[in-house]
Amino acid sequence: MFKNEEMEINMGPQHPSTHGVLRLKLKLDGEVVKHCRPVIGYLHRGVEKICENKTFFQGQVWTDRMDYTSAVANNLGWAEAVEKLFGITVPRRAQYIRTMLNEYNRLASHLIWLATHGLDIGAMTVFLYTFREREAILDMFEAFCGARLTTTAFRIGGLREDLPPGFEKMARTFQARFLDCVDEYETLLTENRIWKKRTIGVGILKAEDAIAMGVTGPVLRAAGVQYDIRKAFPYAAYKEMDFEVPTRTEADTYARYLVRLEEMRQSHRIINQCLDGLPEGPVMAKLPKILRSEVNEVYHATECPKGELGYYLVGEKGSTNPYRFHVRAPGFINLQALPMMIEGSLVADVIATIGTLDVVLGEIDR
Amino acid sequence: MGMMNQPTALEHVLITTKVEKIINWSRATSVWPMTFGLACCAIEMMAAGAARFDFDRFGCGIFRASPRQSDLMIVAGTVTYKMAPIIKQLYDQMPEPKWVIALGSCATAGGPFDSYHTVQGVDKVIPVDIYIPGCPPRPESLIYGFLKLQDKIMSGSMADRYKEIFEAVG
Amino acid sequence: MAMDEVPNETGAYIYDIKAAPNRQVVMPKTVPLPGLKTYLEEQAAAVAAEEAKWQKALADFETAKAKAEAEGKDAPKAPVRPVAKPDTNDMKFPAPAPATDPDLLHLQEVLGAKVEECFQQAGELTCQVAKEAILEVLTLCRDDAALGYEMLADETATHYPAAQGFAFSVVYHLTSIRRSKRLRLRILVPEGFEPESAVPVYPTANWLEREIWDMLGIRFQHHPDMTRILCPEDWEGHALRKEYPTLGLGQRDIDFREDRSGVLMRIAMEKAGNMGININPPRAE
Repeated sequence: MFKNEEMEINMGPQHPSTHGVLRLKLKLDGEVVKHCRPVIGYLHRGVEKICENKTFFQGQVWTDRMDYTSAVANNLGWAEAVEKLFGITVPRRAQYIRTMLNEYNRLASHLIWLATHGLDIGAMTVFLYTFREREAILDMFEAFCGARLTTTAFRIGGLREDLPPGFEKMARTFQARFLDCVDEYETLLTENRIWKKRTIGVGILKAEDAIAMGVTGPVLRAAGVQYDIRKAFPYAAYKEMDFEVPTRTEADTYARYLVRLEEMRQSHRIINQCLDGLPEGPVMAKLPKILRSEVNEVYHATECPKGELGYYLVGEKGSTNPYRFHVRAPGFINLQALPMMIEGSLVADVIATIGTLDVVLGEIDR
Repeated sequence: MGMMNQPTALEHVLITTKVEKIINWSRATSVWPMTFGLACCAIEMMAAGAARFDFDRFGCGIFRASPRQSDLMIVAGTVTYKMAPIIKQLYDQMPEPKWVIALGSCATAGGPFDSYHTVQGVDKVIPVDIYIPGCPPRPESLIYGFLKLQDKIMSGSMADRYKEIFEAVG
Repeated sequence: MAMDEVPNETGAYIYDIKAAPNRQVVMPKTVPLPGLKTYLEEQAAAVAAEEAKWQKALADFETAKAKAEAEGKDAPKAPVRPVAKPDTNDMKFPAPAPATDPDLLHLQEVLGAKVEECFQQAGELTCQVAKEAILEVLTLCRDDAALGYEMLADETATHYPAAQGFAFSVVYHLTSIRRSKRLRLRILVPEGFEPESAVPVYPTANWLEREIWDMLGIRFQHHPDMTRILCPEDWEGHALRKEYPTLGLGQRDIDFREDRSGVLMRIAMEKAGNMGININPPRAE
């Protein structure tokens, strides 16, 4: 009597969730998603090509703008990749400060994730609460390097300057109140019936599928695989830090939410260790004024809040610019797993799943 | 207003002004922006809407998702070749009167991305009223730009605006 | 800076892309492909050149001394062998070293002649294999119990226009989660060769290979969906090739404003991957 037809709709590049310009072509049967094809490239800015014309020092500026919610983590990955290419040793004090800022960045990124994820699902209050903490962290970034969002925080060989006076006081004040704030977010969401109904059992990605699709980060850890680059291939000062890597086994949206909340607590712990154990010393290695590379290629991966962020650099003999600069963006690879996660679920679950993957189109499209 | 010092009974309940002023005032103080964050500036736009900088006190708190219900398009982020026709389509879908703020250096002039796929400024695609430089501009800059837009709306003339549109359409 | 302003009939300012100063493309003259053999050859050549220079300096000194004695003047100063200045920088270039890691040795043992080169540099293991055997090597890396590289972290390619015998190098970065190890596999591909797609072994490679096709123009055989992913479907040119200018071939300078009603009409008729484009599609000059 009624003809059942599949409807193809476009969840277009402009939509109210603030993840950026992602387009999904969905084939729907009523409210159920039968097939999904993400279309990306609406923010492709040609960063890889641009950085081939810039020196190693200048390339950092474009790394901020790729994953713009966690600029410091991008900067750290790039600085370490260049240092690996040249064989530069960074002083210990610089490593500690880098680790501390990286963990503050993890907090800032997870706070944005919680805000936008909640906003998409309908929990609008969380946005205002998390941005309050985020403003405190951005004040610290501004005190250190002058910029809130696109920080360009590090230099090759260390840092440009030591921590400003008053930074430690700001950091300690923040540390003292942050754990209570995380508990506050939990009271809003964790036992909330609506939240649980919207997120439990939604967007399941099992461990074998995740590894086959190359997915990393909290999405992989919520599926039960304990893979964190800070523990597996330690970099900066993570070897000396004592922290846990939270994992869960359910592999759904609720599990990822809990994993990220616990990661925030562990980051808090790492920052305390950095502040307590900060060694004295220089913050910048001795380097020649112009860095000319030899023939070498490196792939250096760090643990960005979204997953494994890898930088692939090829150096040319005697050149100040990289010959090839490639970024392995965690969002790009994680987004590939999206069709697998939402086929068979409802349209509302698509929104929840995009939020839980924590994709940032800046790094996907580069 | 009357020439007498004491207000008459009628003047307790009446004010006289031009229709244009009232309309301009109401348009300026209840601008509804469209959520159009493309890149990093979108995060600063969100921060401007959050509790510390609070965009809502200027009347532009409600971000409408649909262009058909909004007055203002804040282009926050880089405009790429693939995205430009979509920006055009969204702008065309907005009903008059409409305004555009180009937030950040990417929307103003392409920003740091001078490459094969980046359009150098959103004004190559749609007409822009306010340009806010910065990379990304602080939320205070966005608020300042918005206040300038309010001044522009308040001082604007409806007749001029319609004349502009009819001339452009041809 | 000579920028030819070419005003057209409507009076709009059109930027002349041909006259742009940094649209000039500088093709690289060297082939920065890291390898043990090339490194050792270069080192040997450098040592030999330095030795030859020293011998020449000595010989010149002898002839000059003889000439001075014949004319009765004082002998010139004897040449001093230059000593390399000690480097006080915190920088030590990581040189390639022969393969000692058990994984590389295992690969060499199992694959035999298919491994073209195997070395370690900067703490990373690199293995260059024959391009026809890449699918076999990837399957081996994933399934062999001694290797167990479960995840493909990254797949990318580089253009080497100055190279003889190949034009691109396609690089695969594999990660073993269980053993916390990374491995890099590399194949050298000439222009027009289509390597086997890695999608049957590592499904991650789907979008990664689409990106390589989009940016560099290398097609992969048996790939489920070989289309452009970052640039629009009808884009001309492959952006990361060395002859492609950073500013592009003029596509971004088309006038988006002129086509007011055409856009909506076009979108209504458009069925392909991206949203409506101007009625005159961009032509690369």
